[in-house]
Amino acid sequence: MAALCKAVCVAKRGAKLARISCRSLLAFGKLYSTGDTSEFPGNKEDTPTAEKKLSGFAAAFELHSGLQQKHDIAAGTVGKSPGSNEHSFATLLKQSPLVQMGTSKDKVAVGKIFHIVNNDLYVDFGGKFHCVCKRPAVDGEKYQRGSRVRLRLVDLELTSRFLGAKTDTTLLEADAVLLGLLETKPK
Amino acid sequence: MAVGLLKKVGSDKILTEPLKHPDFFHLSELFSLKDLFDARVHLGHKIGCRHRLMEQYLFGCRLEQDILDLDQTMEHLQQALNFTAHVAYRRGIILFVSRNRQFTHLIESMARDCGEYAHCRYWQGGLLTNANVQYGKGVRLPDLIVFLSTLNNVFQQHVAVRDAAKMNIPTVGIVDSNCNPSLLTYPVPGNDDSGPAVELYCKLFRMTINRAKDKRRQMEILYGLKSQND
Repeated sequence: MAALCKAVCVAKRGAKLARISCRSLLAFGKLYSTGDTSEFPGNKEDTPTAEKKLSGFAAAFELHSGLQQKHDIAAGTVGKSPGSNEHSFATLLKQSPLVQMGTSKDKVAVGKIFHIVNNDLYVDFGGKFHCVCKRPAVDGEKYQRGSRVRLRLVDLELTSRFLGAKTDTTLLEADAVLLGLLETKPK
Repeated sequence: MAVGLLKKVGSDKILTEPLKHPDFFHLSELFSLKDLFDARVHLGHKIGCRHRLMEQYLFGCRLEQDILDLDQTMEHLQQALNFTAHVAYRRGIILFVSRNRQFTHLIESMARDCGEYAHCRYWQGGLLTNANVQYGKGVRLPDLIVFLSTLNNVFQQHVAVRDAAKMNIPTVGIVDSNCNPSLLTYPVPGNDDSGPAVELYCKLFRMTINRAKDKRRQMEILYGLKSQND
């Protein structure tokens, strides 16, 4: 109750100040446009301040939505066609599946077989390296070049530092467990 | 004699005209940041494989995997392709070198398609430095060597990088996060292990060289006709 009275008093004082500043502006014959005050000239009624001069949450909302619009336009994500290539590298990276995935351990991915050597399947799942999996015993003939398979990723690059070495030794391969063929939903 | 003089003036124009423009062959329209990103050019090796001199080209490291800065790659690639185009325009010999067995066939067929040369097999020690003895006197060495991977099969720097520097042959090279970029004239930080990335580089080099050669033919016709008419 006390807080409400205080708020009302502040509002009234605010209205008085607004009218005084408005009159002084007119007296001097100049108008310094500072946002809301440009709407004041000619209006000397005792209107509630909530309509003319926003305060509290409303003012904060206006301020932040304005800032957000400016940021969006500057970043180039607003007002451009959906198919445009204007995104920065940082944005592309942030929104890429690799980064969105997080750690690769135990994540399920879909890969495509691009090479087969006897029973070894070379599967490319979109990472830097491909993975090599053994042809499974069940449905073995269905795994051909171009087939899409499900994998459980273990590591994106198999590297290890051996004793006495300056840099890691890399196998130029990723590590994944083959879960099976990609099952398409029956139509 | 007047015809000879006119021809000389024409040929000077052919050679000097491209040097007046920063992007005479309009190579910036051949690739965009999105193309490089979709081809996985920004993916590097694990942090333990990093070469100290590649740190300047890295955007950062995400979960132990280095990420190359594609903004820098765009600039370097533009300069490298521009240089390649100028060399091809002036009828230079371009040699593509890579010891990555996965892409040997792709690189050799690309070199054949643009009328240039490739060496993706075992590199004999004195190929550049001992060429006069190994191939006979008066052998013409390449005017540009393009490395699609600067490492050999044991993860050491390819001998040709050092030898080209010894023989004053300019080099363009795709350097991954585990490579040494210091001896290359035009290093291009980028992924050299993924299929889509190498296919993209091959496509770009092939288009650049074909464009440059076509432009040369056009300019010869243009300035050849002009000097005849004058």
